[in-house]
Amino acid sequence: MKKYWGIFRISFQQEFAYRLNFILWRVRNVFQILLTYFLWSTVFAGPGTQIFGYDRAKILTYIFGIMIVRALVFSSRAMDVSRDIAQGDLSNYLLKPLSYLKYWFTRDVSSKVLNLIFAAVEFIVLFLILKPPFFFQGNAVALFAFTASIILAIMIYFFILFLISSIPFWTPEIGWGSHFLVTVVIIEALSGALFPINILPQGLQSLIMATPFPYLIYFPVEVYLGNIHGSALMGGLMVALAWTGVLWFGLNFIWQKGLKVYQAIGR
Amino acid sequence: MDRAIIVDNLVKNFEVTEKEPGLTGAIKSLVSPKKKEVHALKGVSFTIQPGELVGFIGPNGAGKTTTLKTLSGLLYPTSGFVEVLEFDPWERKPEFLKQISLVMGQKNQLWWDLPAIETFELNKAIYEIPTHFYQENLKELVELLDLEKLLETPVRKLSLGQRMRMELTAALLHKPKVLFLDEPTIGLDLIAQQKMRDFIYNYNSKYGATILLTSHNMDDLVDLARRVIVINEGHILFDGALEELVTKYAKEKIIKATLSKEDGIADIEKIGKVKKLAFPQVILSVPRAACAVAASELLQNFPVDDLTIEEIPIEDVIRKAFKSGLKK
Repeated sequence: MKKYWGIFRISFQQEFAYRLNFILWRVRNVFQILLTYFLWSTVFAGPGTQIFGYDRAKILTYIFGIMIVRALVFSSRAMDVSRDIAQGDLSNYLLKPLSYLKYWFTRDVSSKVLNLIFAAVEFIVLFLILKPPFFFQGNAVALFAFTASIILAIMIYFFILFLISSIPFWTPEIGWGSHFLVTVVIIEALSGALFPINILPQGLQSLIMATPFPYLIYFPVEVYLGNIHGSALMGGLMVALAWTGVLWFGLNFIWQKGLKVYQAIGR
Repeated sequence: MDRAIIVDNLVKNFEVTEKEPGLTGAIKSLVSPKKKEVHALKGVSFTIQPGELVGFIGPNGAGKTTTLKTLSGLLYPTSGFVEVLEFDPWERKPEFLKQISLVMGQKNQLWWDLPAIETFELNKAIYEIPTHFYQENLKELVELLDLEKLLETPVRKLSLGQRMRMELTAALLHKPKVLFLDEPTIGLDLIAQQKMRDFIYNYNSKYGATILLTSHNMDDLVDLARRVIVINEGHILFDGALEELVTKYAKEKIIKATLSKEDGIADIEKIGKVKKLAFPQVILSVPRAACAVAASELLQNFPVDDLTIEEIPIEDVIRKAFKSGLKK
């Protein structure tokens, strides 16, 4: 365990190595929040406006919720895995008594903790300035379920990203093309990061809910908002847990195969 | 354990996709990729005893690096048997990895943006090195490699030579019993090369570590390796002492003479094969056995000022070894 604590510490330091870069990235985040806030405030400007069953408070909470959940779930550095494989840098890790998967998970957790600290500060400041009609969840069960769903979401996203990043074992040239397709197109649309899944037709909705994607953003946010409870909540958590297991086994299987064809190129 | 490394009939094939040049080629390879099998190692066998320092020689693509990578568990052998310190490298057991190290000239493990000491501390945690052992070891390496003043400098600001020494430190903190060095002196200036060689020599003799190194630099091999393994196109051509290699492949010796007069200089070709004739200097190549006779003939029949008998330079010997290997 101590070795992963060492990795956690050094990743944290690494984030600060380029201070200006870090600050600019945070500034971009704040602007993104402001833009989204004013966009949706304008849409819901008329008193009592309701779209798809969301009023101003709910939609703003959904939007802010997405931002926080996104920052927690989608902040992963595991994309670099594909470069490590294609350029042979993976060799450096394979030579050490270390689990490469746990190494990246630790780096992710470290980057998420950093993200969370800054996101929290920014959120409080913006909240005090804008005073949006935010919905605070007070139900302990919902908050507990929310935490559980976030942890599952983090693992599902990590495993998906790691799986896609394993493609260069077989086709080293693939680069970021597959990442773009999967992370931007599929994950953004199907996870609920662009719009709530429940605005879609019922049939399509149930189809999407059977995939791992909505458990990344849509499900945790809805749990926080208290829109999913009882058996639907338990069922959802079970599906997310099942996907976590399936992806984990799949990933191990793929890596066993991948390492056998790994060419350790570049001297 | 009487064998640190056992390699028996090791075969490694790679599958590579071939691409024709240009855009049409790129599209063609996308639609129907043309796969080709590359035979990097075609049945390599050797054993190495604990504490030996062995040099691997061979041209680019001969299979040297592939062998080292297989021995350190990076590559999955297509067939054959490999054992290092009684472990199967491929399993990459922590107990195995804690006893070996592979240093590659162009792959670095140092964290680019942070001072090297951070990577060292991280390796201490990863290899679970006890604190006192780590401090002792680090102090020794830092002194030997002359790195005291550079520990706090971000790695990206170090020169290549400094970085290589840091890499070596990072790779040796856990005191590996088996060390694989791939081109340890590549890109270094002459002084840095010598420092590196001295260090490798000391590490081997002081700790009895088993060292396997590849190099293009003949000085590395002459200085360090008592035993060399010559490898070409996935086959071992020679395995034995460096001097043996010279006597086996260098069937001739070189006579260098300085003449005082140019008279009758044309007759000199009767003594041996003329390699260079630029008065006053003449260089002859003569069969090893006939060397003494040729030298005395030269002294009797020509106005010789100075004469030396030399072995063929090691580079030429090796080139010859590769050529005869190709003929087989």
